[in-house]
Amino acid sequence: MATQVAKRVNRGKRIVSHIGLGQMIAKDWKRNKYVYLMLLPVIIYYLVFHYGPMYGVIIAFQDYSITKGVWGSPWIGLENFQQFFSGFHFSRTVINTLAINVIDLLFGFPAPIVLALLINEIHLNPFKRLVQTITYMPHFVSVVVVVGILVDFLARDGVINNVLVVILGISPTAFLQQPEWFRWLFVGSGVWQHIGWGSIIYLAAISAIDPEQYEAAMLDGASRFQQIRHVTLPGIMPTIIILLILRVGNMMTVGYEKILLMYNPMTYETADVISTYVYRQGILQADYSFSAAVGLFNSVINFGLLIFANWFSRRVSETSLW
Amino acid sequence: MNRKITRREFLRYAGLAAGATVLASCGAPPQAPPTQAPPLATAPGAAATQVPTKAAATVPPATQVPAGPEPLTLPIVKQPMTLTYWVETNPNVAAVAKNYNEILCYQELEKRTGIRLDFQQSPVGQGLETFNLMIASQRYPDMIEFGFGGRAGGASTPPGGPAKYLKDGVILRLNDLIDKYAPNFKKVMADHPDWRKQIITDEGDIYGFPFIRGDPFLLTYTGPILRGDWLEKLGLKVPTTLDEWYTVLKAFKEKDPNGNGKADEIPFTPFQNPKYLQGVRGAAAFIGAWGMQVEFYQDKGVVKHGALQPGFKDFLKLFAQWYKEGLIDPDFVTYDRKMLDAKVTGDQLGSLIGNAGSAIGNYMGLMAEKNPKFKLIGAPYPVLKAGQKPTIGQQDFEFQGQVTAISTANKRVVESIKYLDYAYSPEGTMLFNFGVEGVSYKMVDGYPKYTDLVMRSPDKLPVAQAMCKYFRSSFNGPFIQDKRYMEQYYELPEQRDAVKNWVVEKNDTWLPAVTVTQDESKKFATISNDVTTRMDEAIAKIIVGQQSVDSWDQVVQQLRQMGIEDAVKIQQGALDRYNKR
Repeated sequence: MATQVAKRVNRGKRIVSHIGLGQMIAKDWKRNKYVYLMLLPVIIYYLVFHYGPMYGVIIAFQDYSITKGVWGSPWIGLENFQQFFSGFHFSRTVINTLAINVIDLLFGFPAPIVLALLINEIHLNPFKRLVQTITYMPHFVSVVVVVGILVDFLARDGVINNVLVVILGISPTAFLQQPEWFRWLFVGSGVWQHIGWGSIIYLAAISAIDPEQYEAAMLDGASRFQQIRHVTLPGIMPTIIILLILRVGNMMTVGYEKILLMYNPMTYETADVISTYVYRQGILQADYSFSAAVGLFNSVINFGLLIFANWFSRRVSETSLW
Repeated sequence: MNRKITRREFLRYAGLAAGATVLASCGAPPQAPPTQAPPLATAPGAAATQVPTKAAATVPPATQVPAGPEPLTLPIVKQPMTLTYWVETNPNVAAVAKNYNEILCYQELEKRTGIRLDFQQSPVGQGLETFNLMIASQRYPDMIEFGFGGRAGGASTPPGGPAKYLKDGVILRLNDLIDKYAPNFKKVMADHPDWRKQIITDEGDIYGFPFIRGDPFLLTYTGPILRGDWLEKLGLKVPTTLDEWYTVLKAFKEKDPNGNGKADEIPFTPFQNPKYLQGVRGAAAFIGAWGMQVEFYQDKGVVKHGALQPGFKDFLKLFAQWYKEGLIDPDFVTYDRKMLDAKVTGDQLGSLIGNAGSAIGNYMGLMAEKNPKFKLIGAPYPVLKAGQKPTIGQQDFEFQGQVTAISTANKRVVESIKYLDYAYSPEGTMLFNFGVEGVSYKMVDGYPKYTDLVMRSPDKLPVAQAMCKYFRSSFNGPFIQDKRYMEQYYELPEQRDAVKNWVVEKNDTWLPAVTVTQDESKKFATISNDVTTRMDEAIAKIIVGQQSVDSWDQVVQQLRQMGIEDAVKIQQGALDRYNKR
């Protein structure tokens, strides 16, 4: 590679040296090669298990047959996508997916932030640790167990209904059979399960804020609440924005496992999401290329949203993923 | 120069080693090459002589084999041979044996035929995934046992059915080979042309050796079940019409038959694992009174769909009425298997739709100590008017899609055919159904009675699992199931009486395992999926009362928009092809 090494001495000003790309890499390698070597297995892992199999997405454009394999199956172009878009329940599944994600964004996203702010205000250390442990624990419980508990509590003769009947005198409602309740129950139980774990990263960000800023605020006469508003929140804002961008990059995805466990024919109209529709059509009917097509569609939309969110964030604030 | 390795070098080599292990772990999984036993120097002493004739005493004498296929003589091979065999592990077998070779009938088979099977078993419950992986890897074992034939409208095999595997060169077409080398199987098919029709493809190809339930007694095992002790306590007789059912259910609700002073009885639930209406859908209980079923069925060769029939609204009206009066469990839509078990054993549920084995046998066994009066009886399928006889009840076809196929990778096709053919001989049938005489069964007055090793297992195993140690009749395989197995498996008289009540003569509305063509299959699958979703939802809401029965007309409109009539036409084509076989 042709490189020009030129040194310009600019009379007392900074010395600017231009070196070529090749030399820059060689220098970096020489200094950091062990770090790169440590990184190598991870890079290989991603290349082999995540980037490599990407070629398989072409089955979205085929009528994939197990016996013919990827290269032997016939090409059908956009037919899988047409099948998806013209499905009777298509608009319902898309609306439900987006609705659940919007509710989760509005309530589930701020929740760990609020919890982190609150935990940060606890000064009694044993109590602080207790709260943290208790809130972390549900994260490790399997979603099957969580839904099992939910079904039990929300049953006609379950805990919640008993409280409502005895204390408030309302007749029992079968919550899991009412479509109006589904989205709230889905998001609510998710918040309960993951709020503790999600607050960890915010607590870490809060602890990185310079204490001098708090002192300065206190000197200016700020109350606890004003300190949170003007010191803590701006301090963790970059973290919040990054996580928000990543969250927006998931708007078309709702995992099917929890929906499958929680829904039943009475709540299909709000509970049936894209992934459960694909589960029935693509997995149960072994129509793999259909599932691949829908997955591709989802990923493209998610990717688009991610890029948009990042661009927007770059325009509005100084923080962005790239 | 022997200097110590520097820190720098150590890190370099460690890094390379780490990278290498990652690469190595991504290599291809270890293969199981088809094995062949090396020829032994000595003549195999284990080669059995002809099967002792005392086993043949109760079995029809050796029949005249038509000239053509060579008669089957044992042993099949002069030197021991091993063939690979893929099978999906049955959960009951997994409880008692790690490998199918531990089952007594296979050990005996090896002695008699000289051929040993090297089983490649899938993990329990992962049959379809493991099967797909095996097919995709294109490394086929010699024989593959799987539900190639699928089920009518079901989804256990990829679209296109068995013909696809023949065309794609996975398994062999067996017609000529059977003619030459499988006399026993050929005779069975000649004696039962209706069985033969079920096991071939629309083009007439035989794609495997099937599992066949050889007697009508084996084909019916589900039906309406009631608490017999509650009926006796309230002085009611077994209901036969829908009106009588109404009376009985109302009495269950109001007259406190479980005697605890609380009106906590649940008269009825239509749930059968895994769906809330499966009892009605799968067994056509209650809806059969109107001469139809919930989904696809046939009426004298014409395919119909229950949802499009006017009688469907009457069925919905009835169930909605029952629900309103509290005769159906209010939570029936959200049931699962555990809830059902809890409500039965909790002395709350009065009636359900279930199996003679897993419902009657299981629950009565569980409750025997807690409540000796607990009795479950099977009631006949209800009819509309008194005096009518039921025309629809649960009844499987003799063939349900399970076969053992011979793959194109098999280098010992003739021996494989002979081996599989043995199971259809009289001796082979006894071996697969009852095991070895003297060990797992004894002939008592010409009837093969299971010994205590099976029925009262010394390891305290349930009968279903104990059976799996010795023979295969309790789960499917490439042989013909004998009804005498089931007669003994049903230990309680209530079970046998239930089946007698459930058997319906002239039960000919069920659709056999027809195959949809490959081009139609995608369209058919989409329509079926949409239709099922819509129906599940609408039926639930109407029965529960959230929507009126008249809203069903709108639902039918939507089903027509989804293309349900096209689906009916596709099924009609499939049925016509089937009938022409």
